[in-house]
Amino acid sequence: MQSTVLVITLVLMIAVALPFVKAVRSAGADGAPGNAEPRRNKLIWALVAAGVVITVASLREWPHAIAAGDDVVQVNATGGQWYWEIDTPEIPVGRTVVFNLHTKDVNHGFGVVNSSGRLLFQTQAMPGYVNKVQYVFDEPGDYRVLCLEFCGVAHHDMIDEFTVVAN
Amino acid sequence: MADVKAEPHTGAVKFSMLIAGAVFALMMVIGLVMRAAQGNLIELEAPFFYQLLSVHGAGMVGTAGLSGAAVMWYFVGRYVPLSARMYWAFIALFLLGVVFILTAIFIGRYGGGWTFLFPLPAISGEAWEPWAAALFMLGYVSIGVGFLLYHLAVGYPIMKHYGGFARALGWHVGFGGADPADAPPPAIVAAAAVTIFNTIGIIVGAAVLVASLVHLLVPGFAVDALLAKNMIFFFGHVFINASIYMAVIAVYEIVPEYTGRPWKTSRVFVLAWTAILLFVMAVYPHHLLQDVVMPPWALVLGQVVSYLSGIPLLAVTAFSLCVYLHGSKMRWDLASSLLVLAVAGWSVGTVPAIIDGMISVNKIMHNTQWVPGHFHIYLLLGVVAMSFGFMAWLVRGTKASESGMSGLDRMAFGAYALGAAGFALMFLISGAMSVPRRWAVHLPEWVLQDRIATAFAVLVVVSTLVFVIKYAVRLGRAPG
Ligand code: HEM
Ligand SMILES: [Cu+2]
Ligand SMILES: [Cu+2]
Repeated sequence: MQSTVLVITLVLMIAVALPFVKAVRSAGADGAPGNAEPRRNKLIWALVAAGVVITVASLREWPHAIAAGDDVVQVNATGGQWYWEIDTPEIPVGRTVVFNLHTKDVNHGFGVVNSSGRLLFQTQAMPGYVNKVQYVFDEPGDYRVLCLEFCGVAHHDMIDEFTVVAN
Repeated sequence: MADVKAEPHTGAVKFSMLIAGAVFALMMVIGLVMRAAQGNLIELEAPFFYQLLSVHGAGMVGTAGLSGAAVMWYFVGRYVPLSARMYWAFIALFLLGVVFILTAIFIGRYGGGWTFLFPLPAISGEAWEPWAAALFMLGYVSIGVGFLLYHLAVGYPIMKHYGGFARALGWHVGFGGADPADAPPPAIVAAAAVTIFNTIGIIVGAAVLVASLVHLLVPGFAVDALLAKNMIFFFGHVFINASIYMAVIAVYEIVPEYTGRPWKTSRVFVLAWTAILLFVMAVYPHHLLQDVVMPPWALVLGQVVSYLSGIPLLAVTAFSLCVYLHGSKMRWDLASSLLVLAVAGWSVGTVPAIIDGMISVNKIMHNTQWVPGHFHIYLLLGVVAMSFGFMAWLVRGTKASESGMSGLDRMAFGAYALGAAGFALMFLISGAMSVPRRWAVHLPEWVLQDRIATAFAVLVVVSTLVFVIKYAVRLGRAPG
């Protein structure tokens, strides 16, 4: 998904830059500016319409939805300066897993990356609260946890691992 | 409406921009050092890296605020009389805050970040003492009080002169059907809006600072971590946005000198600035999209308003600039080139910001280097380019031989634009490769982008030195 996001972003960035290039090129060449207001209105309404579509499409399924029920695997993870404690070292593949995030001291960020280093999901760990994040692992293997919230001088050492196993 | 054409306090403003330019350059060198360390080109102890990260974040954001404030002071001074004494009080408090912050970081070894999260300042694992954290916060308080004075000094005369904030914001034109010719100039509309939201932001920031200070002194005094996080991000988001919305006044006031077409307050301009006033304050939950204990409506608000915030910028400021440029008798020199680049860079920078503002994307991009990727675009190619453009304009030559762009100007401009774009692009690529932000030490597979970025950063630093030294030399030549 990350590479798709990057490509879309770069394309849109170029699309935003182009009108400037055009305007700069045309500056200096004589020409009366026509009435631009109808074009501006069209642009505003096009942006609003696109916004409605994007919002509905991206939020129709709530990205932070958490399943309940007996077949959900509950995993408790706790961050502390500067380590992780994960109470389930082996997590089953193909099941809905809910991670419950705690912290012993300051804010931490619980980010899970797969064996090729790609971030799959994350949530915050913060004092006084339990943040929940849900995921279904499709593949067995070793997964790494990286700290994604700055938590002091050994923030970058907060790396841990867990294994996803085939049932 | 008869406008008072008071002489702006040119000397004070020129002095502020000299400080701003020098500090921008210095902080860029620190940024370069950090990027080189991530790329294993040099070695830094991790605690020192985080001290540099804190000074770079606080120093850059503070300086962006200072230069935005100087721009706004200068141009508001064209329309309403302002008190020079208040401005110097602001500068004094600002500099006092800088001294506190530098002492906290370089003597007290504070390294908790510029948007520190409660309770990190008090729980450093012995890396720094509580007094250092307290001094860092007192530095913020001093700068904050300075800005409150500043906004009072700008807001009150505007209110008096234009008959209240509603009229200064142009609401009689935006909503009351009055003739746009009766509207205040764009600089005033913008100044009124920024004054309102930045004052609110600073008051919220002061509240969380005081709570954190009390917590440092009386550890039993607990603060709700989620509330504190909301407040610190509200403050941080509003403050950095205020700096760019102040600096854009330079575009409204200076570009017309080059195109020969005045930048007028229209109905859509008024509506856009009212929208900005609301959006800047409502959008901050986009920093908390992975705090799932937040009420869902707040996260939806964060996503939706992130998107909406792009509309006034793209459809009003950027669109108008393109229209004004189109077929105009535009004169290009360093100042006008940098100002146009700044609006373009700011607009382009909103794309990765809006995309990261989507909850589902944020889940895999938040706190990766994607984030510094997007904000370095609209800081380097936005607010800093505006500041450098303003500086170049302040010392523009009056002789024919000095108008237009010299070869050196051209090279520095090109190097700056290329360097900044390449530097930010490397952050975006690293973010897409899931490289976390704020990591002193990088894994070997991330180092390539770090090194390429370091090379681009060198271009930025060198061209910045050209801009700043040229400014200083010209200031020295024509005292004013
Ligand atoms: C040559 C120019 C610059 C270089 C080389 C540079 C470098 C860096 C680096 C390496 C980081 C840390 C990235 C990470 O989290 O891994 C960073 C963060 C940051 N930079 Fe820059 N930067 C530059 C210009 C600027 C400018 C002009 C501004 C603002 C006006 C700015 C504001 C910030 C802020 C606010 C942060 C975040 C600090 C934090 O995470 O606490 N930078 N920069
Ligand atoms: Cu951490
Ligand atoms: Cu923000």
